Amino acid sequence: MRLPAIRSFGPTLWGIGLFLIVLAGTAPWIPVFLLTVLIQLLIYATLAYSLNLITGLTGYVSFGHVVFMAFGGYALGIGVGTLNLHPVAGVALGAVVGLALALGIGVVTLRFRGVYFAIATLVVAVAALYIVLEIKELGDGQGIYLNIGFEPLSWFYTIWVILAIEVVFTYWITHGRIGYGIRSIKSDEDAAKTVGINAARVKLFLYALSGLFAGGAGGVYWWTLSGVFPYQAFDLTFSLQMLAMVVIGGMGTLLGPLIGAVAVYIPSYIFLTIFSGFQFIIIGVVVILIALFVPEGIVGSLRKYIPELRGILE
Amino acid sequence: MADVGLFVTDLALGLLLGCVFAVIAHGLNLIWGVAKVVNVAHGEFIMLGAYGAYFLSIWLGFNPLLSVPIDAAIGLAVGVGFYFGFLHRELRGKESMGLQSEMVTLVATFGLALVLINTAQSLWTGNNVGIPWSPGVVRVGSLQLPLGGLYVAIVSVAIIGLSHVFLSKTYLGNAIRAYSQDIPATQLVGINPTSTAAIGTALGFSITMAGGALLTVWLPTGIYPAMGNLYAPISFVIVVLGGPGKMWGSLVGGLTLGVIIDVGQLFLGGSIALATAIAFLTLIPVLLFRPEGILR
Repeated sequence: MRLPAIRSFGPTLWGIGLFLIVLAGTAPWIPVFLLTVLIQLLIYATLAYSLNLITGLTGYVSFGHVVFMAFGGYALGIGVGTLNLHPVAGVALGAVVGLALALGIGVVTLRFRGVYFAIATLVVAVAALYIVLEIKELGDGQGIYLNIGFEPLSWFYTIWVILAIEVVFTYWITHGRIGYGIRSIKSDEDAAKTVGINAARVKLFLYALSGLFAGGAGGVYWWTLSGVFPYQAFDLTFSLQMLAMVVIGGMGTLLGPLIGAVAVYIPSYIFLTIFSGFQFIIIGVVVILIALFVPEGIVGSLRKYIPELRGILE
Repeated sequence: MADVGLFVTDLALGLLLGCVFAVIAHGLNLIWGVAKVVNVAHGEFIMLGAYGAYFLSIWLGFNPLLSVPIDAAIGLAVGVGFYFGFLHRELRGKESMGLQSEMVTLVATFGLALVLINTAQSLWTGNNVGIPWSPGVVRVGSLQLPLGGLYVAIVSVAIIGLSHVFLSKTYLGNAIRAYSQDIPATQLVGINPTSTAAIGTALGFSITMAGGALLTVWLPTGIYPAMGNLYAPISFVIVVLGGPGKMWGSLVGGLTLGVIIDVGQLFLGGSIALATAIAFLTLIPVLLFRPEGILR
């Protein structure tokens, strides 16, 4: 039996689309300092959607997602610094590198479940840092300094396009026929396999897509900093922030990662300017409380406790 | 190719270092066995153990070996707190930890790691500190070994040996092992699951923090808030190498990893970074081909 698609265009997708279009239309008139905050927010939202593709949709917790972001940055560094590409082409190269890396890592690590997958991805990310430190072409442990100008509007529209494509992909995947397969894998992978779902292929597809977008977001992130530096690029704090955004927003939902990005990034930006250092303590406490007491996250809880919202919010 | 003298020295150093790695991984192994979940904040408790030894040396002039029992006692209390804060809600009344609970604890302990690192950073700054304690060297033939490292290795093996005796010869130890194997059966024979799990977790934390104190001997300037980002993955790899739940597995895994790092750099042009990366990546083939660990 050929299953129908799950649902037509929902209000949530329209809402996110409207939000993004308003942002894109007003961007040239937004003051520069506010625009840089927005750019960071969109980068984090892209990263959160990227982690949501694998961790939110299938329940495979990846601690090593920073590795795609970091290699996206290094691809930008090589593309712009060595190959003299335009930075946007460098970002595209970063996305391709992220995709290739995710395929390579995913083929091996997606065989492990639960804790073992989390540990394997974490270990790969830590090992990648130590390997990058030793490669001469990648800055020999010093990183790559680029000399690209300050162009907030180019940053903004690049990350905007990546995020828009990613949201559409997330919608398409969760609502198309493959969505049934993904849901069944999250509930019970063995049962999914017995009804004929190629779980390995679905997981690898999601993981590769996730690496693609994280690589692109990493490219833009390191473009805004005009260079890429190993210890910062492989900082596991990025992994945690992505995970915090997905958990706080609501795992596996369409709106969750965006809400999570706003809920984590904006307070941490404000705290950063008031008392730096404390923002991560607060994020950490919030993550602990949400994980232990409201594991559904903001969007999940709203859906759970306000039945009227179930048709609108997803 | 490296010459034989250098090789033997590095092999000996790797074995000594591996003993300490074994202790920090042994703590994780116990928690893993009892709670069936990985404590992602494991590295941060190693860091707390190391800072414990550092402050004891500053305030009271203790050397790292003297601070081991004190760190271990603090670890017991911390472990009980951790069990009731993070694990009890997920384990209570269940026969095993489901995938959902597993993910909840993974994420929650990741949050805890962030809180601990950044609290340490704001309390003690991000600067590296260390304990100046070097009892000299011992010569075995042409071999020169640091005496501090040798003491630490002896204490490490003693800790693992004692915990093995406790777990296999005492009633409480047997209860903990029974709990980690089959929770409903444990209840059938009249063992209180909550207190057994709490004691098992506390023991794991106690060993972890003692390991943190022992590690400081090898780190003359290497105590800093984010040090867990290196030692947590090391512990994960060791437990998987040795096989989760196997008590001698930690020792075998630890020695293997210590030797890979110390001897490996000899063959990689002195690059400790590449040797560490290779040591980490041994996890992947072991998980693929011998998921039960290298021990039978």
